[in-house]
Amino acid sequence: MTTEAVLIVAAALFGIGVYGALSQQSFVMLMMGLELMINGAILALVVLWARSAGGNPQGQMLGVVFMTVMAVEMTIGFTLITGVYRVRRADITEKLRRLKG
Amino acid sequence: MRPYVGAELAILAIGGTLIVGVYLVAVLDRLLGAVVAGAPIRPFALVVDPARSAAQLLVQQRRTTERPDAPGWAFAPALFFGLGALALAMVPLGPNLVVADPATGFVVFSAAIAFVMIAVFLHGWSPNSPFALHGAYRYGAAALSFQIPFLLAMLATALPAQSLSIVDIVRAQETLWNVVREPLGLPIYLIVGVGVSFWGPLNLSDASDLAEGTSVEDSGIGRLLWKVARAGMLVAVAAMGAAGFLGGWWGPLLPGPVWVLVKTLVLLVMLIASGHLLARVRIESFVLVAWAILIPLALLNVFVSGATLL
Amino acid sequence: MIAGPIVDVAFWLFAIGSVVAGYRVFRTDSMVRAAFYLLASFTGVGGILVLLGAEFLGMVLILMMAGEMLVMAIVMVMFMMNPAGLNPMVMVHQNRIAAGAGIVAFVALAGVGLVGQFPDRPAPEPAAATAQLGTELLGDSMLVFQTAGVALLSTMIGAIAIAGRRGRYGVAEDGSVEPPLQPDEERAR
Repeated sequence: MTTEAVLIVAAALFGIGVYGALSQQSFVMLMMGLELMINGAILALVVLWARSAGGNPQGQMLGVVFMTVMAVEMTIGFTLITGVYRVRRADITEKLRRLKG
Repeated sequence: MRPYVGAELAILAIGGTLIVGVYLVAVLDRLLGAVVAGAPIRPFALVVDPARSAAQLLVQQRRTTERPDAPGWAFAPALFFGLGALALAMVPLGPNLVVADPATGFVVFSAAIAFVMIAVFLHGWSPNSPFALHGAYRYGAAALSFQIPFLLAMLATALPAQSLSIVDIVRAQETLWNVVREPLGLPIYLIVGVGVSFWGPLNLSDASDLAEGTSVEDSGIGRLLWKVARAGMLVAVAAMGAAGFLGGWWGPLLPGPVWVLVKTLVLLVMLIASGHLLARVRIESFVLVAWAILIPLALLNVFVSGATLL
Repeated sequence: MIAGPIVDVAFWLFAIGSVVAGYRVFRTDSMVRAAFYLLASFTGVGGILVLLGAEFLGMVLILMMAGEMLVMAIVMVMFMMNPAGLNPMVMVHQNRIAAGAGIVAFVALAGVGLVGQFPDRPAPEPAAATAQLGTELLGDSMLVFQTAGVALLSTMIGAIAIAGRRGRYGVAEDGSVEPPLQPDEERAR
């Protein structure tokens, strides 16, 4: 388990996430792409904390912040899905030609 | 890094405890049912009956549904059983007698409890059957509601120990058990514990009004495994309750491991008896109670136990 | 830091498992199955975090994701069309560009990982790391921790405000119609 190997895994997860976020039409699938990107970012962050930061606790702290970001992203995402569905009956991105409420 | 026991010993200990525990749950369930109903108690029949039902399920012909998600259906009981085993592995029998004691044992146990909802959802979703899916949704609603009070109730036990390790949590109860220090903790934990393995009054997902909910399409060994996994989770919840709230191995006269077993048994009897004494609640009222009453109570519990430690 | 051949084997199992599961997320018809694959991917990453010595972060990631995936599966079945994947269909747009962007991101980031020179200063034992994080949360980084808490609280309030059925101009779904997929139809209306 070298640092490089973990970083490559993190990059792979991030790349898959980019693909998903850009290619999926369904809102929820799009969010899954975003989640995978954050997932890769957390992995890269923690491996650098574990291997090259000398155990600076602020590295883990940043991980906690990332998880908060993830939770906020999910909440806002689900909220917008619910709101958009109520107003527009839309479940895929193509159905939202204008964003004005 | 604390030393862990060897893999063979761990499998033997947890597997043995789970098999004995599950059988005990089945016997106790029948015994308490007979006691509550006032029926005559026939000891031989009580002991043999679970084995007979298990054997019957083993030879039963299996049936299936139209286009089920076969891997998920097969995986769900195994996942549930594994989660029970994982939770049980965190429970210490003595200061140096524990299968695994990671520094974050509390979080590992909570993650196992949280994953139960994945197992139940998978089990209800995969057979491609309306009642089963309905049961899965019920469990989802219930589990998302009791997750937070559960975490808060368990969190309060970590405060006096100043550690997330279960061994440290038990060690901190030498002078005063958590059930006295935080009187609200154990009731909340037990309510949630009944809900986690959807037993008795909180049997919402496998309830008889849904024709057994998530397990409506199960048959043969699949049904047996699901029942075993449920009972195993009940044992794990009782054991962790004994460790987290009833002082684990601390107690006069008897040696530590015996105390753990006695306390686990007491909690197990309470959990099982609830199924025979209380009526099943409705999902709406339970969700309301969980969000509006249990969460504030659990927060109060954390606050009080934090304040007493200052 | 935990070390030994078992750790390497476990790491590769987790790594390959989580990458494959992550890929399967976008290659399955059923959305519930996609949520389960994503959960598997997250569990793998959580396992790698534990192997790296960040026990608390790894376990909390796994704990958090279980709830999130359940919510995700429920939202999908509530709002999305064809959530069960009974009729196979491809719901992607700009597939080539997206795949290209994904590959470029992977190559660039993996390149950074391979080329970059990282100092070799390992972190302390997992037990010590967990305790350190606790002290940091309520010590030097208390402001960050509190800010995260306030951010979550405001998210909750905002979420309820946006998703509530009673909108600013009356009941939200009043007069809502499904938009057409062709832009011409919308203009004609």
